[in-house]
Amino acid sequence: MSSLADKIQDVFNEPGCSTNTGKAAKERKKGCSKPLQPGGAAGGCAFDGAKIALQPVTDVAHLVHGPIACEGSSWDNRGVKSSGSKLYRTSFTTDMSENDVVFGGEKRLFKSIREIIEKYDPPAVFVYQTCVPAMMGDDIAAVCKVASEKFGKPCIPIIAPGFVGPKNLGNKLAGEAMLDYVIGTQEPDFTTPYDINIIGEYNVAGELWQVKPLLDELGIRILSCLSGDARYHEIARSHRARAAMMVCSTAMINVARKMEERYGIPYFEGSFYGITDTSDSLRQIAKLLIARGADAELMDRVEAVIAREEARAWEALKAFTPRLTGKKVLLITGGVKSWSVVAALQEAGLSIVGSSVKKSTKEDKERLKEMSPDVHQIDDLRPREMYKMLKEAKADIMLSGGRSQFVALKAKMPWLDINQERHYAYAGYVGIIEMVRQIDKALSNPVWEQVRKAPPWDEVSWEDRADAANAADEAALAADPARAEAERRATIVCKCKEISVGTIEDAIRSHDLTVIAQVTQLTQAGGGCGSCKETIAAMLAREAKAAADAPSAQVA
Amino acid sequence: MSQSADNVIDHAALFLEPQYDSMIEAKRKNFENAPPQAEIDRVREWTKTVEYQDKNFAREALCINPAKACQPLGAVFAAVGFEKTLPFVHGSQGCVAYYRSHLSRHFKEPTSCVSSSMTEDAAVFGGLNNMVDGLANAHALYKPKMIAVSTTCMAEVIGDDLNAFIKGAKEKGSVPADFDVPFAHTPAFVGSHVTGYDNAMKGIVEHFWNGKAGTVAKTERQPNESINFIGGFDGYTVGNLREVKRLFDTMGVSYTILGDTSDVWDTPTDGEFRMYDGGTTLEDTANAIHAKATISMQEFCTEKTLSLIADAGQEVVALNHPVGVTGTDRFLMEVSRITGKPIPASITRERGRLVDAIADSNAHIHGKKFAIFGDPDLCLGMVEFLLELGAEPTTVLSTNGGKAWEAKVKALLDASPFGKDCQVFAGKDLWHLRSLLFTRPVDFLIGSTYGKYLERDTGTPLIRLGFPIFDRHHQHRYPVWGYQGGLNVLVKILDKIFDEMDKNVVAGVNDISFDIIR
Repeated sequence: MSSLADKIQDVFNEPGCSTNTGKAAKERKKGCSKPLQPGGAAGGCAFDGAKIALQPVTDVAHLVHGPIACEGSSWDNRGVKSSGSKLYRTSFTTDMSENDVVFGGEKRLFKSIREIIEKYDPPAVFVYQTCVPAMMGDDIAAVCKVASEKFGKPCIPIIAPGFVGPKNLGNKLAGEAMLDYVIGTQEPDFTTPYDINIIGEYNVAGELWQVKPLLDELGIRILSCLSGDARYHEIARSHRARAAMMVCSTAMINVARKMEERYGIPYFEGSFYGITDTSDSLRQIAKLLIARGADAELMDRVEAVIAREEARAWEALKAFTPRLTGKKVLLITGGVKSWSVVAALQEAGLSIVGSSVKKSTKEDKERLKEMSPDVHQIDDLRPREMYKMLKEAKADIMLSGGRSQFVALKAKMPWLDINQERHYAYAGYVGIIEMVRQIDKALSNPVWEQVRKAPPWDEVSWEDRADAANAADEAALAADPARAEAERRATIVCKCKEISVGTIEDAIRSHDLTVIAQVTQLTQAGGGCGSCKETIAAMLAREAKAAADAPSAQVA
Repeated sequence: MSQSADNVIDHAALFLEPQYDSMIEAKRKNFENAPPQAEIDRVREWTKTVEYQDKNFAREALCINPAKACQPLGAVFAAVGFEKTLPFVHGSQGCVAYYRSHLSRHFKEPTSCVSSSMTEDAAVFGGLNNMVDGLANAHALYKPKMIAVSTTCMAEVIGDDLNAFIKGAKEKGSVPADFDVPFAHTPAFVGSHVTGYDNAMKGIVEHFWNGKAGTVAKTERQPNESINFIGGFDGYTVGNLREVKRLFDTMGVSYTILGDTSDVWDTPTDGEFRMYDGGTTLEDTANAIHAKATISMQEFCTEKTLSLIADAGQEVVALNHPVGVTGTDRFLMEVSRITGKPIPASITRERGRLVDAIADSNAHIHGKKFAIFGDPDLCLGMVEFLLELGAEPTTVLSTNGGKAWEAKVKALLDASPFGKDCQVFAGKDLWHLRSLLFTRPVDFLIGSTYGKYLERDTGTPLIRLGFPIFDRHHQHRYPVWGYQGGLNVLVKILDKIFDEMDKNVVAGVNDISFDIIR
């Protein structure tokens, strides 16, 4: 397991991530993942992250080594599309039994690989490690090595058992497996100066295909997409691309950065959500390709396509703007979408009243702030807090993922699914129109009228009750300054280390701290993901001002 | 021949065998003087045009594929809902065989019903003797507690007077003088099965409340806190009445179901044949006069009955086959208002579950276009539910709907932006609907089994809701009323939508979006 530990260490220590490079050497190694909170509602595990990152590779056999739990829950659950092979939709698992747990599962795994190759003859077998065999010590890398040699077929170990961490880490570990075993193992038949990689795009609901026709038209070839609608050999040959686009940055930044290091493929982070983002991404692709030898006229053609497509998209959106202008949107999603979708919606005339930034990086937050200073950034996702915010913001529709933690909100307003389990594709110039069409539909659906209303015989609606509870809380706090102060001091600033306002204030005051690093050293606050450093800086400034004001008052 | 004792194939497969193929083809070629295939295709295509539709709608006399049945069918339906009651149809025996098979094919249960078996001589000399013998035999053979008489056309054309005949039969000792024989005149050439239900129900209520055809004193109404409930002619009567009773019991309402058919069409298989089962007791029927009010679930099934009940001094409430949240709200609010019983939290939760289910699935139904045909009240209930779901009713057609019905549907449609492109057709048949499905295409068709020909001809997927459902089993066991019923209807609609998405997918050809998760 030491190699896995090293790998995780390596993935955490990500120079491509500015947050990470901004940390002290010791902190950097601890990585950016926030520790899981026992007892809390959790997201997916590392295995899930690895599986969803690679499952879109269509022609390989995805074999999950473990008891039925892992593959049973993850079989074809993302709605990713394939233009060719459908093998990725066939579920393969070793379905480990009690006997395997006692005697070891390596033989079963080896036989499973053999049967897959005999029956399906895929270009490769991806073997996913899970918690149980990892704990038993099944060495799937060794099995894969033997199997690869014996059958003359690449068998790729994807080592991201669930217990090593969250989904995001699994994404990265999956990327590492591609770097270690796949990328650079084959050579393309030919290359062109117009070859690119797209990394972190999964072709959910066919989103890649909403953009691909434009690239085709421009003569830009997607040498490899990691991993939407991908073929094994495309990934194996992806090291010959001239440039790369990173679509979902937190997921596979390690792959983009290491491909730049190893093969000199420059990359940029971009998005295909929204009109201007799509245009920007096309320009960036052209820019990188031209820098690496493509004809400079490419940019002219790109601009021509952008001009034409933007005009078309605006025209199409015009039909909606009279219906949507002034409608308020609350965005509950994470990461890159917290800002990339904002741009898209603003283009459609919608105004964004809030965006959740819980899963977003500091950069994501800054980007969001830059784009729309008025958008309220939401950190606290407790249902009652959310409800309060919703009510104050008076949003007309909420766009969010399909997770159950938003049930309380579903009950309040129109709701549209924009995360991975969505059934409509929202990418590129055509995608934004589809998204707006769906928003328009959701806004006008009569069921929301129904859900906002209490049953006609109910005098007190749940909203009334929530209002009353919130009002009671506020009144109690107003009446009891000591409790209000205690609550203020108990507010958590650093979520990673769970450090409260009071702890930080006490440290600043008693040690006359002036810089963030001192606070971190003394209290650990800011020692995790670093996203609370702004808040700490503000607290330092406030304390300094208070200290400055106090003596001058004495002097006066 | 291709049949062998080891492998007997049924008609669906047998007649596709090559020898039948060539036999049918040869017959067509040599004996049928069939027009060339190209001509058949041309005419078929022509029937899809607006030009053909205009001709179709210019029909003055001919009715093609009517979506309605005759009065006595409704009368039999009403009668079997009472304790040990034998429906007795005065007229031709062939008609009665039809009612029995029609109801049995829908409910997959025997339906007991007798006829006075009028023949040609009865048609000439009047059917009195048939009534006299018929009542005597039915009473002796089947030992009913009540015989509910209705009529076929034959008796109506010659003008048999049921009141006089029954009196006469009793005088001749066919049945005891105090034996209950309510009656209703139910000619098929007037109205439809919903009218027949109304007439028969009115006949029974009138019999018990208004002095049993002059044999006893009229009952003096002494109002109590109970309510009466009439379901109307309803293909889901087994599931619906049980659901309604559960809701009433949960609310603590004291009630009488008039015409409780939930047991007689759902008898257990345990070795005992139940010619009669369940049903409203005659005592309860008589006492129902004292109720505070009567709620009818289907206005157009109970127009005359409700007017009689109103005359007796009760408040009457007529609903239109409520389906869904708003419809069920209205129903329960009326019950609550009349009885003063609050709607308990457990029912409020059921409501919330239906709302949740609709919210979860709204994107799939939103904007889908529907054509609906069926009995007047069912159409109204379904239109209201579809509007609530964000679907777009596009064509609503009821062969037995009239002007009042049409106005009511239009008012409902006008109140919602989702109803603005909808057209309503009263008194039209399913051949009219065939044209409409071509000229005003919809995503789904809602209606009875008879819609399957339309599904085949027009390619419009049929969601089976209504009466009769002959080609799907056990639908009647599941309610469509109450919040639970709304959920059932929602699931029926969704199942069809998802089935359509997955249907006709060929591996490797068009299976890109053949997704596990919808």
